[in-house]
Amino acid sequence: MNLGLVVYSLDIIVFIGIFAIVALSLNLEYGFTGLGNFGKVAFFLAGAYTYAIVMERTGIPFYLALIMAMLVSAGIGFLVSLPALRLREDYLAIVTLAIGEVLRLIVKTEDSIAHGVWGITVPPAIHWSGMSVLEMRMVNIGLVYFCLILCFILVQLMTKSPYGRILRAVREDEVAAEALGKNRVQYKAQIFMLGSALAGLGGGLYAQYMRFIDPSGFMPMVTFTVWIMVIVGGPANNWGVLLGAVLVILFERGARIIKDYLLLPIDPINLQYILFGVLVIFLLAYRPHGLLKERQLETKAIEGVQQWKNRSSE
Amino acid sequence: MVNWAQVLFNSAVTGSLYLIGAVGLTLTYGLSGFPNFAYAEFMTLGSYMGYLMARQLGLDFSFAFIAAFLASGILGALAYRGVFRFLAERGANKIHLMIGSIALGFIIRHIIGDIWGWPAVTFGISWPARNIGPLRITNLWLGLILTALVLAVIMHLLLTRTKTGKAIRGISSNPELALASGINIERVTLVTWAGGAALAGIAGLFRGAIAATSPLLGWAIILPVFAVTILGGIGSFYGALAAAFIVGLAENIGVVALTQLGLSTEYRMAIAFIILIVTLIARPQGLAKAFRRT
Repeated sequence: MNLGLVVYSLDIIVFIGIFAIVALSLNLEYGFTGLGNFGKVAFFLAGAYTYAIVMERTGIPFYLALIMAMLVSAGIGFLVSLPALRLREDYLAIVTLAIGEVLRLIVKTEDSIAHGVWGITVPPAIHWSGMSVLEMRMVNIGLVYFCLILCFILVQLMTKSPYGRILRAVREDEVAAEALGKNRVQYKAQIFMLGSALAGLGGGLYAQYMRFIDPSGFMPMVTFTVWIMVIVGGPANNWGVLLGAVLVILFERGARIIKDYLLLPIDPINLQYILFGVLVIFLLAYRPHGLLKERQLETKAIEGVQQWKNRSSE
Repeated sequence: MVNWAQVLFNSAVTGSLYLIGAVGLTLTYGLSGFPNFAYAEFMTLGSYMGYLMARQLGLDFSFAFIAAFLASGILGALAYRGVFRFLAERGANKIHLMIGSIALGFIIRHIIGDIWGWPAVTFGISWPARNIGPLRITNLWLGLILTALVLAVIMHLLLTRTKTGKAIRGISSNPELALASGINIERVTLVTWAGGAALAGIAGLFRGAIAATSPLLGWAIILPVFAVTILGGIGSFYGALAAAFIVGLAENIGVVALTQLGLSTEYRMAIAFIILIVTLIARPQGLAKAFRRT
C-alpha cells in the first residue's frame, strides 16, 4: 500500500478520535441529561485556544496545558450555565449558540490574544528530531485514543452509576426528580461543566494535532457536525455515539475525495451539508433514537421487577 | 465630537431592520413554542432575491422587494408544512424541533451557496447620500424606516381588528382554549409562518442593500434578532417593537462608546449578546408584561 494513503487514513483515525471525545461530551449533556447545547463549538474553541496560548507563552508540559484547556472550558461552561439552566431549554439553546459566535468574535478581533485572523501556530505535544509524518500521526493516535478511552470509561461509569440514573430522571421529568429531593439545577450545572471540560479536551487535542488554528475553523458547522454524530449514533448510548463519529467523519472525508473524481452539477461539499441536513430531519422523524438505542438500566431493583413480572405472567 | 442626531437616526435605521426581521420570529416562536434557527436563512434568501432582481436581471428595487417578500414567504410556508409540522406530528420534542431547524438552515444555506457562490456580492445599486441639517441620509434608509412604520401600523390593525390577528394572540396565550373556541390553529399558524418569513425576506433584502450579501448574511444578524425576540417577550409584537429600537439604540451608542474606548467596532454583535444575557437573568419574560395586549 502506498505511504500517502496510509498517512491519510491515519489522519482520518485521529479526527475520529478527537470528534468522538466531543460527541461523548454532547451525549453526556443531551443524551443523558436532556440539555440542548447548541454551542458546542464555543467550548471546543475555548479548549483549543487555551492550549495554543499556554503552549506559546509558557514552557509547561503539554499534559498540563491540556488540563488547563479543560479547566478554562469548564469555567466558561459554568458561566454560561448561570443564566440559562434555570430557564426553559430553548433559552439554553439560544445562549449557547450565541456564546459560540461571541467567543469566535473575540479571538478574531483581539489580535493580542492569539493573532486574530492570522491564526496561531501550536507546537506539537511530543516531538523528536527527524520525526517522520507517519511517526507523528502514530504518536497522535496514541495520545488521542488514550484520552478517548479515559473519557469513554468515565462517561460510561458515570451514566451507569446511581448518579447517571438521577441524570436520566432529570431528563425524563424534572419535577419528579425535584420531588425526590434532587436539585435539578445543580445536576445540570455539574454535567454542563463536565461536558464543557471534555469538549475543551477535544479542542486542545485538535489544536496540538493541527499545529495551527484560526477563528475560521470554529464555525457553527462544528456544533452541527457533533450533533449529527450523536443523533445518527443514538443519544444516551455511548457506543452509538462512537459509531456516529466514525460514520460522520468517513462521510465527510468521502465527500472531499469524491470532489476530485466525480463531476457533479453541485459542489460535493455543499451537497454533503445538504445531505446531512436532510438526513438529520429524517432521523428525527423516523428514528429519533439513532442507530443504537438507549440500553435498559441494569440494577438489582429492575432485575427483581423483571422476575416478579415473569412469575406473575406464568 | 459625536453627532448625536446621526446616532439617533442610525438607531432608527438599525431598529427598523431588526423589527422587520424579528416580527415573524417572535410570532412563530410564540405559536409553535420553539425558536426557528432557520429564520436566518429566510433573511438570506430575501437578500439573494434582491441580488437576482437588481443585479442579475437589472430590474427596479421594487421588483426585488416583491420577490423577496414572495420567495421567503413561500419558503416559510414550505418549511412549516414540510418540516416542522411533519416533525411535530411524529412526536418531536422541543430540542428535536430546534435541531431540525438548524438542519433546515444548513440545507437552505448550502443550496444558496451553491447557486450564487460563497463570496459576498453587492446589488450594484447606488443610494446617493444627502445632507439634511446635521443628518446624512439615503433614500434606502428612509425607505427602511418607512417600511417599519407601515409594518407597525398594519400589524397593530391586524392584531386588534381582524379575526386572524386575534386568533394569533389567542393561540399564543392559550392554545387549548383557542382550539376549544373553534379557532383553526392550523390555518392561523401557517399564515403566520408564511407572513413572518416574508417579512424576514424583506429584512434580509434591506440588509443586503445597505452593505452586501453572502450566504452567511442571515447568520450574521440572527443574534440581534434573537435579542429583540427575547427582550420583547416571546410572541409579543408590541414587546418586539420596543425591543427593536432599544437594541438599535444600544448598538449605535455602543459603537460610539467602543470607538471612544479604542475597541474594535466588530463588537457591536456582542452588544446584542449582552442584552440577551441581561434579559435572561433579570427579566426572562421580557418586556411583554408591560404590553399586556399580546
